[in-house]
Amino acid sequence: MRKLVSLLLVLAMMLGVSAAFAAETTIVGTPRNETLIVEMQNPTQTAGQFSPMMQGTNMGTGIQQLLWGNLYEIDTVKGEQFPSLAAEFPKSNEDFTEHTIAIRQGIKWSDGVDFTAKDVHYTMNLMLTNPEAPSHGYYQQIFESIDLVDDYTIKIKTKESFPLLAESIGVLIWGNDLRVVPEHIYSKEENPVMFKNSNPVVTGPYTVKQFDELGNWILYELREDAIYSDVGVVTGKVPKAKYVLFQTFGDDATRTMTMVSNLVDIMVEVSPENWEVMKTNPKAAMWYPEYPYALFDDPCSKGIAFNNAKPPFSDKNFRWALALAMDFKEVSMNIFDGAGRASVLQIPATASMQELYYKPMEEWLENFELEDGYKPFNTNYAREMAEILKAQGIEVPDDDALLDDMFGIGSWKHDPEQATKLLQKAGLELKDGKWYWEGEPFKFTCNILADTEAQAGRGGQAAVDQWVKFGLDVTPVKMTHTAFTNANSLGEFDVGAYWPSCAIIRNLYRQINGWDADLIKPIGERSSGGNGERLNSPALTEKIHELARYSSQDEKSYEISTEILKIFVEELPFIGFHSGTKFVPTNNTYWTNYPTSENPYNGPWWWWSAFKYILPHIEPVQ
Amino acid sequence: MKVFWKNANLRLKFGLIMMGLFIVLGFIVPLFPHVNPIIYNTFAKNLKPTAVNWLGTTALGQDIFWLLVESLRNSIMIGLIVAVIGTTVGVFVGLLSGFLGGFADRALMVLTDTFVVIPSLPILILMTSLMKGQASIIVLALTLGLFAWAWPARQVRAMALSLKERDFIQTAWFSGEGAIQTVFTEILPFVWTWALSNFMNAVLVAIASESSLAVLGLSPANLPTLGNMIQWSRERNAILLRQWNWIGPPVVLTIILFISLFLLITGYNEYQTMKRGR
Amino acid sequence: MKAWKYIGLRLLTWALVIWIGVTFVFFIPRAFPSDPVETMISRMASMSGSMEATQVEALRRQLRVQFGLEGSLWEQYTTYLRDGLFGFNFGPSLMNYPTPVGEIIGRFLPYTLFLSVTAVIIAWTLGNIIGLLAGFRKNKRSSKILEGIAITIYPIPYFIVALVLQIVFGFILGWFPMTANILTTADRGAFIASLLRNSILPAISLLLVGTGWWIISMKSLASSVAEEDFVQYARYRGLSERRIGASYVLRNSILSQVTALALSLGGVFNGSLITEIIFNYPGVGKLVQQAILSSDYNMILGTITISIIAISTATLIADLIYPFIDPRIRYS
Repeated sequence: MRKLVSLLLVLAMMLGVSAAFAAETTIVGTPRNETLIVEMQNPTQTAGQFSPMMQGTNMGTGIQQLLWGNLYEIDTVKGEQFPSLAAEFPKSNEDFTEHTIAIRQGIKWSDGVDFTAKDVHYTMNLMLTNPEAPSHGYYQQIFESIDLVDDYTIKIKTKESFPLLAESIGVLIWGNDLRVVPEHIYSKEENPVMFKNSNPVVTGPYTVKQFDELGNWILYELREDAIYSDVGVVTGKVPKAKYVLFQTFGDDATRTMTMVSNLVDIMVEVSPENWEVMKTNPKAAMWYPEYPYALFDDPCSKGIAFNNAKPPFSDKNFRWALALAMDFKEVSMNIFDGAGRASVLQIPATASMQELYYKPMEEWLENFELEDGYKPFNTNYAREMAEILKAQGIEVPDDDALLDDMFGIGSWKHDPEQATKLLQKAGLELKDGKWYWEGEPFKFTCNILADTEAQAGRGGQAAVDQWVKFGLDVTPVKMTHTAFTNANSLGEFDVGAYWPSCAIIRNLYRQINGWDADLIKPIGERSSGGNGERLNSPALTEKIHELARYSSQDEKSYEISTEILKIFVEELPFIGFHSGTKFVPTNNTYWTNYPTSENPYNGPWWWWSAFKYILPHIEPVQ
Repeated sequence: MKVFWKNANLRLKFGLIMMGLFIVLGFIVPLFPHVNPIIYNTFAKNLKPTAVNWLGTTALGQDIFWLLVESLRNSIMIGLIVAVIGTTVGVFVGLLSGFLGGFADRALMVLTDTFVVIPSLPILILMTSLMKGQASIIVLALTLGLFAWAWPARQVRAMALSLKERDFIQTAWFSGEGAIQTVFTEILPFVWTWALSNFMNAVLVAIASESSLAVLGLSPANLPTLGNMIQWSRERNAILLRQWNWIGPPVVLTIILFISLFLLITGYNEYQTMKRGR
Repeated sequence: MKAWKYIGLRLLTWALVIWIGVTFVFFIPRAFPSDPVETMISRMASMSGSMEATQVEALRRQLRVQFGLEGSLWEQYTTYLRDGLFGFNFGPSLMNYPTPVGEIIGRFLPYTLFLSVTAVIIAWTLGNIIGLLAGFRKNKRSSKILEGIAITIYPIPYFIVALVLQIVFGFILGWFPMTANILTTADRGAFIASLLRNSILPAISLLLVGTGWWIISMKSLASSVAEEDFVQYARYRGLSERRIGASYVLRNSILSQVTALALSLGGVFNGSLITEIIFNYPGVGKLVQQAILSSDYNMILGTITISIIAISTATLIADLIYPFIDPRIRYS
């Protein structure tokens, strides 16, 4: 027995030694202090497939962030695109049917070949002509032809007037399918859309060094000539990390322990409960150094969407009643302990949208009246939240402007009396504390996503809780993502907790055009694209059609976008809760100078393609 | 009754008392007036155990004690329904198949084997997406029960085949006892021991299956069960946050429930043996 | 002759079961209100905020053709039977289009088999030995203690067992990695070392919960066999306890345990989802789960067909070797 114990001890020590050794190097053997470890959201099932022209490539595993370039990238802080592989924005003719794009000079592929317009021309034509290529159907619908003018210019003809070209072929949110591939390599492939490209030649600052066949990690190495990469040429700077290791860590508890043990530098998103534990590590950091920690700039707000084609949900009085029946402060506490910037408009109150739309529209919101003259906007939300949190011993600033930045400029009021009035106006009857609709007891369900998105899911549960307290008979229904989308698309739902409410640049067209009433399909038929919510508003549709005619640079697009937001408030087809609230932790043990509230040079969007523009800022700790 | 108690062994006594307590806790205690534990913010959140909230509160301000009581009832119900279906159908089909033989046996075995080979979790995930949260305890239990009978049926059939060849059965068979009578008087007692431990396991497996649905987020959202409580604690990182009052009660209760059932059933078996021995 | 007839009929049952099973699995996901094309579209849309209606319509048409969902259900079914069931070619994984399902499964299956087969066999052996001792000599103190431990560990929810192991041995002590990263690209020695290092915690967790049931079921079987006449008779004949335990009790109670082992071994092909989730261990479980959640029809069919064939074959083998283990059974 004693022998066995000592044997076990020896074994344990050996393993312990190797564990200690492992701290100086990463799992793949690169020096820890030269390697930036970034969390990969999910393991990829298509390991070794790096080609953006082959479908099924798992872009978020570092592939779009480090390897491939787009013509236009997004600056999330300003809410503007900027040319990346392109040299400038498209020059279009009067009616937006012919567009000339200048391509950036000086970029080299990682094998030393010059990057030119030929590559862009080749890639776009591949997408246009090959039925297996990404976005093929869309390109067929839009583009007449894509021609090479000279080595650094291409000319695009669109089938119809198309003012939003850069917005369609460049990145707005997360990424865009047009990731330019090298013509000199792809044109030699017999079937370029089935070419896995396991050792890719790229325009990005990194190349693939090694990858796990099981898809758990990919190791990227900095190009020696990174100054000629897209990032190098655009910014004149190169990333400092010699290696970037994208790695998966498993479930939430494991991820938490990994962050505490300094085995990761950058994580994608965690729940506040996990952050509670992670922050015991003094090196772990978040967007804000203290409460509320999280960042509020994810470009889609979470909330409750109605099936606007189904009575009584089709009555805006009903929708408004449901908004006023909720105590939004309680909802907020139940989601992320109060963290979140209230987003009453159809767009999220991200930092840029807050400045572009929320603050300019504050006065209008204060004076906004329902049909009976009732003013539903509560400008005191931020201060009331501060009171609640202070009572719980959480430190929050006293300054009004700071509070507005933290909790938003206001929310809808909690007014059960007005809600009751509105429900009755919508045709519901109140008998013995129970609600009736057309003589029957009134019941409805709220669809909630089961397997993704804590913020939306908790929001849905909290909303149901509020309505039940108000006296309505509501059942929360948890669904898988696919069942949820299906119910939404067919219009076979009552209300659902999700996010048909995104915005990233000043011109809202790309995110809002789905609300076009012309797209509405009858309940039971699959909706085409947006408008699963089936809001039939002629006024809104007219404005959307009008907005389609202007480019984003045109001031008119801003005016119309503002008008559109006002219509949304009147109709309220979606009750926005908060802008996307993300807890994105970083670790300052080996690397530092990540974007934070004190140094907001960018948003912490490691999974977006613009991560390559964050990398040069991240410094080694010496 | 008195005699029974006197003769009962320690395991049986303990098991009976514990199960009695569970019945009281799960089915009688809820009759007392109490707050609705599903509603959020009835109390302050994250409370430690106090005189009012015996087990503290959740991060949503729900009382854990009452949540636990309601969960216990629902989980016991699910477990019992599934175990009853699984065991009785399983024993019935298994015996039938084993003793009838011939075509009936083959047909039954094809049916049984089909249910044995189809993996249950994927089908359960699909079924829950069809139920759309309208699932009551009964529906959930029936769905789980659908997959609970096949394996027992197979085992009972194997036992039946083995028993069939034994002398005492052969004797009974040929001495003119009818098939059904033989089964009841000679076979069932033999299968009984096995059936009871299968029953006990089925209760636990049902509770665990419901938990795995909960882990995938697919257990009905407003139905408190032990599985849902455990999953909720997991989602809110209870272990690393050391919120023992969130995760502890449902886990400990599941374990005690199983141990009590185990003692009850093994104790009963011993009691039966002893009675036979005398 | 009789034996051959039995074997022939058993093989027929085997084929029938597989056919009914896969037919079931073919039609059920298609009968449910979700659809791989819509899943793909919504995934793309939710990543990039939203898509224009024209873009969605175009994508929808493109994907329906690519995913092979244009033909009638009957055509799809016969294609599947021909290529999938007989050729083991399940087509492309829809969510990883156009990578073939077989290629992906082939990458993960060996790890699932390595981990789970080892764990199942060790648990079975260990559980049966302990269960036999506990059932046969139930009044010994050591039997009671072992049984007590098994009974207490068995009902603990699996993920808690796994998490505690991970916290203690991975996080606090640092002896083992918290998250599995097997060096698939390294040379053979380093690969095997990392495979073992990364498999120990998952294996122990599977053993801890797996052994319990074998102990409980073996104990109940053994204790009822131990009371049978022939055991008593053997005692009268003065055979040693060890001898009685090994050749009488074990032999008579192992039968159903062998079937159960066969089923467990077949079930291994389903992967062990929670283990894979908690330890980030590569395996088939997550493939199945993700395939179902995203209605990846081909992947669902690929993984489950393999599992159905494995389980039914395992039970077939168990049935065929019965007579060798239990002399009382003849092929009938």
